[in-house]
Amino acid sequence: MEFGFTEEQEKLREELMEFFRKELPEDVDGGVPAVNKELQDFWLDIQKKAGAKGYLAPGWPKESGGLGYSHTEVGIANEVNAYWGVSWPDSIGLHICGPGIHLFGTDEQKKRLLPEISSGRNVWFECFTEPDAGTDEANQQTRAVKDGDYYVLNGQKIYITGGFRPDWLYVEARTADTIPKHRGLTLFAFPADTPGVSIKTLPCMGGYRANEVFFDDVRVHKDTMVGQENQGFYHVMQTFEFERSNTGGAVSARRRLQSLVKFCKEEKRNGKPLIENPEIRKKLALMAIDTEVLRLAAWRTCWRFAERKRLGPLDFDLTGFFVRANAETHPTWQLEFLGDYAQLRHGSKWAKLKGSLDRQWRMTRSYHYAGTTEVMKLVIAGRVLGLPRIPAKLNPTIMQALQEKK
Amino acid sequence: MDFSLSEEQQMLKTSARDFLETECPEDVVRKVEDEDKAYSPELWKKIADLGWLGLVYPEEYDGSEGSVMDLAVLFEELGRAMCPCPFLSTVVLCGLPILEAGSDAQKKDMLPKIVNGDLILSLAMTEPEACWDGKGWDAEGITVKATADGDNYVIDGTKLFVWDATAADQFLVVARTKDGGAAEDGITLFLVDAKDPKVSCTVLRTTVGDKRQAEVVFDKVKVPKANMVGPLNGGWAPLYKALKVGMILISAEMVGAGEHATEMSVDYAKTRIQFDMPIGINQWVQEHCVWGFANVEGTRTVVFEAAWMLSEGMPCDFEVSMAKARANEAISEAFWRAHQVLAGVGFTTQDGVLPLYTKRGLCQKIYLGDTDFHLEKVCQAMEKWPEPEKPQGKALGIFDVPEDVQVPVWDVWRDQTKGKLW
Repeated sequence: MEFGFTEEQEKLREELMEFFRKELPEDVDGGVPAVNKELQDFWLDIQKKAGAKGYLAPGWPKESGGLGYSHTEVGIANEVNAYWGVSWPDSIGLHICGPGIHLFGTDEQKKRLLPEISSGRNVWFECFTEPDAGTDEANQQTRAVKDGDYYVLNGQKIYITGGFRPDWLYVEARTADTIPKHRGLTLFAFPADTPGVSIKTLPCMGGYRANEVFFDDVRVHKDTMVGQENQGFYHVMQTFEFERSNTGGAVSARRRLQSLVKFCKEEKRNGKPLIENPEIRKKLALMAIDTEVLRLAAWRTCWRFAERKRLGPLDFDLTGFFVRANAETHPTWQLEFLGDYAQLRHGSKWAKLKGSLDRQWRMTRSYHYAGTTEVMKLVIAGRVLGLPRIPAKLNPTIMQALQEKK
Repeated sequence: MDFSLSEEQQMLKTSARDFLETECPEDVVRKVEDEDKAYSPELWKKIADLGWLGLVYPEEYDGSEGSVMDLAVLFEELGRAMCPCPFLSTVVLCGLPILEAGSDAQKKDMLPKIVNGDLILSLAMTEPEACWDGKGWDAEGITVKATADGDNYVIDGTKLFVWDATAADQFLVVARTKDGGAAEDGITLFLVDAKDPKVSCTVLRTTVGDKRQAEVVFDKVKVPKANMVGPLNGGWAPLYKALKVGMILISAEMVGAGEHATEMSVDYAKTRIQFDMPIGINQWVQEHCVWGFANVEGTRTVVFEAAWMLSEGMPCDFEVSMAKARANEAISEAFWRAHQVLAGVGFTTQDGVLPLYTKRGLCQKIYLGDTDFHLEKVCQAMEKWPEPEKPQGKALGIFDVPEDVQVPVWDVWRDQTKGKLW
């Protein structure tokens, strides 16, 4: 085992650190969601600058606009981004759509779309979730009906994150009524201004926003299909793995802890600094430990990718599980340090730490993307530990509920 | 970053598991609980023959020059088998300070004997008062005095929770030789013959029910100067170095035990039938199994990270304390979860394996620093953290927007200059 980085890797880290140190303004606050045009333009600008240097998708090959970094080097780049609180407007394109097109796209699509993503000029929406297809991803109701060289899409997507100004959509839709349901889904990638697309904003309690995307007779050419027809579900499952190998989470958590320690040393209650409170000391230490466990879990996944190129079901990693476990406890503990001040938002003159703890707490209530905690537990129980699963058809209560719904 | 075991480590792990499954099965563990010396001399001899006791020592003392990492791999297996032997006391807690600070004569005489299994040592450190307030494993907790008297020192006082005391040939006594100044500065290590008539040992009745821990009273014991290990007042540094290794190894033992307890509960969940179904079909039961698994896996990485840093000689007090605190809490929880799944078969002491683990788990959790002790160490390290770095670009003043400012409705804004792709 080896828990450190080589000299070259450290050099690379410093090079990336230096880029952001110079490019970002000193008052940057990565926690503020890009709620208006000004903020999103700012991040888009940084995104383009990073894209021009290849830092956006460093793991992609040079011809796609990347730098050909190894898995470990990409892990380092993710850590650096997280340290500076960088939120790429197009993180969906970089982490979901790009890898999907890499794995399953035609040569033509790769040539045209990948440089578009890696240059940072675009924002993508990943349109998978529907009102009736959340955790049950395969239950897609949006239809794509073949009409000559075209497909006609009709349906609705919901909880689509990634800001509010998409250029491209990455859509999963039903192309066949099959049993089981997941054998009839297909992926498409097409411009967001295709006639028939409309988008409605859904403000969220974390301050950022999600969207509803509607398709009314949207005609897209068959060349916009990514991967094979009716194989969309399998393609998505494979690309989702990329979402779970992020080394950045622990680094931003650690940075927040650093600020918090500083705050606890300076802030006084009854004449005594917060840090002298034994309960606070204990919780600070517990959070540092949880953060380290998370950091190593993420690096372990990263290392497995590097070793085996892709993950099998038995390699299911615990990163997402720990992210969610920490998201449940840490923001709540941190708020408790503040007493009555906990409830003050960014903008109030009395708010501590610019209201960042309140914001963090509200944000983490929504850590359900790419599978809720419960789903992660079921996956670990079923796939890793091999525990049995109850088939719905054996349960009379479930069968009755399904009947009534029909 | 590399999370794999080396080929040698993998071999060590496999052969250790095989050996312990045959030589140290459950009934041996139970039998040793009743032994006055709290270990099995036959098993100890076999362990010595395998060369495990010399794993971290240099070749000149019959060792094989391995690392703390190798020991951690081995200790996971020892923990899984609950192997009752004075390995940690002899080789690590007492042997390493001798290797680090002992005289040439001490090293030449004692280390080969340790490696060959002919000498058992026990660390007499913690004291009745210090065990109350989390200072048991800190220099501040050492109050038993050693006073100079001609060519001898006289040690007078009581040490409590001394592991492997009844098995020991000699004690390594941690004594205070100077008052005032920093707590770490006045500590000296002495080797004391266990057969000295002025040393008395009383076995403690503990949760585990074995005879591994004792109260050891040193009643004005005379110790020749030559028995001093390391310099006068300079005992803390070599001792603490060994304690850190001990903290990691006991954590590794806990990981091994927690892993087996979780495996047992998963197996049981698959095979125990109630209401015509395996109980593992229930999601609450799955929840317990998943938490057990996550706790064990998460702990293993932090433990091995600290073991790696120790092997590389890096400063790692922070990482060691994180690992021990995590092991304390996470592995206790893994045992608790296992109890929920195993229920009845998990608490009968006559034929259940889980109670053996759980009871030992409690002692391991306290040994070499409980959770509060280590959390405090972690927090002390955090107080020395630097502030997060700020970027150097010109301030823009755009980040102070109230977040409830609503965004205008969606508009097509794509850079149209490049034309449509399709």
